[in-house]
Amino acid sequence: MTENVMRYDWIGRWTHTFHAIAMLVLIFTGLVIYFRWDIMSMHNARTLHMVSVPVLILTNWFLVPYGIIVQGYAEGGVKGIITHFYNNYIFNSRDAKHLSQAIKNFFGKGEYPKFTIYDKGKGHYITRLHPLFKIFIVLEGISIFLIFLTGIVLYDVNWSIFGLPIAQWITTIFGWFAPFLNLSSLSFIRWVHLALTYFFIFELICHALILQFAPKPFNYWKTIFITGKEDFNNPVVQVIDSSKDEA
Amino acid sequence: MASEKLNVIDNLQNLDVLQMDRRTFMKAVAALGASGFVARYGTSLAKAMEFSKTKVVWLHGAECTGCSISALNAYNPEFADALEKLNISLEYHETILAQQGLFVDGKLVNTSELNGEILLDELANEGGYILVVEGSIPNGPDNTGKACILGGHPFKDIVEKTARKADAIVAIGTCASYGGITTTNCDTKEYCDFQGMSFTETTPGGILKILGIDKPCINIPGCPAHPDWFFLTVAALILGKLDLNNIGAALDQYGRPKPFYPPESTIHDNCPRRGYYDRGILDKEIAQGGCLWKLGCKAPYAHSDCALRKWNNGLSLCMQAGGPCLACVEPTFPNASMPFFEESEKTEILFGANIGHVALFAIGVAVVAAGVHAVRRMKKE
Ligand code: SF4
Ligand code: SF4
Repeated sequence: MTENVMRYDWIGRWTHTFHAIAMLVLIFTGLVIYFRWDIMSMHNARTLHMVSVPVLILTNWFLVPYGIIVQGYAEGGVKGIITHFYNNYIFNSRDAKHLSQAIKNFFGKGEYPKFTIYDKGKGHYITRLHPLFKIFIVLEGISIFLIFLTGIVLYDVNWSIFGLPIAQWITTIFGWFAPFLNLSSLSFIRWVHLALTYFFIFELICHALILQFAPKPFNYWKTIFITGKEDFNNPVVQVIDSSKDEA
Repeated sequence: MASEKLNVIDNLQNLDVLQMDRRTFMKAVAALGASGFVARYGTSLAKAMEFSKTKVVWLHGAECTGCSISALNAYNPEFADALEKLNISLEYHETILAQQGLFVDGKLVNTSELNGEILLDELANEGGYILVVEGSIPNGPDNTGKACILGGHPFKDIVEKTARKADAIVAIGTCASYGGITTTNCDTKEYCDFQGMSFTETTPGGILKILGIDKPCINIPGCPAHPDWFFLTVAALILGKLDLNNIGAALDQYGRPKPFYPPESTIHDNCPRRGYYDRGILDKEIAQGGCLWKLGCKAPYAHSDCALRKWNNGLSLCMQAGGPCLACVEPTFPNASMPFFEESEKTEILFGANIGHVALFAIGVAVVAAGVHAVRRMKKE
């Protein structure tokens, strides 16, 4: 009999859904704008691009932290939020061990690691993500921040809020690094925006293909976007029971 | 922007040029251009200038004299008219005035009437002029400045002598402003150590800092500089519309007068080919009539009013004439603009590869690795 547990609550599922849609639209319309693909008008591409920006930002900077706080708090109050965040999103020594097992397995040595750990006694996950994704999460967070900053300047070199010349500040700061690539500040900003778009494509491929090529890939998609439930028979899931250990 | 300009012109209809505050004055000159400005305010200008003469000393360093030629090409007013209208006495200009150095037994002879070197010495002793510097100032080799010698003196020393006694300094052209063409990456650049007056490329300081001179310096970059930018800035200086004690307020972060080099917009915003850009009609070859972005147009990275003011008496501009903008007004010109006919995003980052090549490689590796990873897992399970 298969045993199921809720891996993603509704916040997690909506976060994934909005994030995926916004990201795909942003990448696609960004490439349409940059390469001037004759698929849609520039006006439509730009409108879709701009509409997707707040969706991605709201998802990443509000829904994700909200989900972490809610889940962490349910697991153990205020301290639970910190432990939940550390265990689930920060690459730690356990992840390093799992990653090295995965690499060895890639070259034909040893077992593939059971990187997802569920604690039956506590009734929640200890850690869920693939160790590689934990690295990607940090890189992705930085990239989203940078692509947002560069996007502000590309949108309007003079963008300001409450009289603060934000776009000019960003241009000045990027200007400190631009000479390393022999570029001017504005062209460096455009270059970074493009380079990060390519990074997101790279990350998307790693993320999606690793899931897609796994056995029964549809189960992953179902878990992430629809049911939120995980099957304990999944070979990468390890179930422990801390209450028994303590006893 | 264009309609904003019309509004400004409308609002300026009945203003008295002499009563205008500094901000309005700079807005007015930027919107009207030299010809419009002189046509509208010529009489009051003449009245204002009746009794005051302004001396200008114009030096030439490491350069091509293109900025002088650009100024001489000014059409309305012409160069001589502009000098007359602003009551400027061009006391010294190496390529226009004919004085030469006369030596007998290695000593300068004659008077300042016939001898440029004596004239320059006298002027420098008197002081009280606007110093215009065209061309960069070599500080090398080894801080001697001997890479550019004029009449037996390093140009650096001539700049030092004249800058100390100047009321204000105007660096005309990108070379004098930031080093420009002379700072193109190569060994000569290192050896000659070319400096701009108050900046070298994007770094503030320039030769003035090296010489320990603290004088207000206005940069009028451009390769060459537009005659309007130059004359109108000088007009503002002469009429006291640029506060020498707080010059920074009228300048952007690279020392350029904001009305001519607006930080809030790029040339691309007002380009006559902008419609093509917006519709995604990007030329792949020269002379197809569309936007020149893919042919290396750097106007999206350049701040100046070229596209509104235009060149050759308002007739045309680089992109209108079919050539991509090279961002010649920027402190990073020409290094950041090269290759001139390639878009900036194609800049090489690794062994001749650009970001597109690197991305393609990384994505290819990711696809293969993910595939191998998946196949292995499927086999095991
Ligand atoms: S030609 Fe240059 S300035 Fe004109 S629209 Fe194209 S990219 Fe912009
Ligand atoms: S359009 Fe560009 S290249 Fe042409 S003068 Fe203006 S800044 Fe220089």
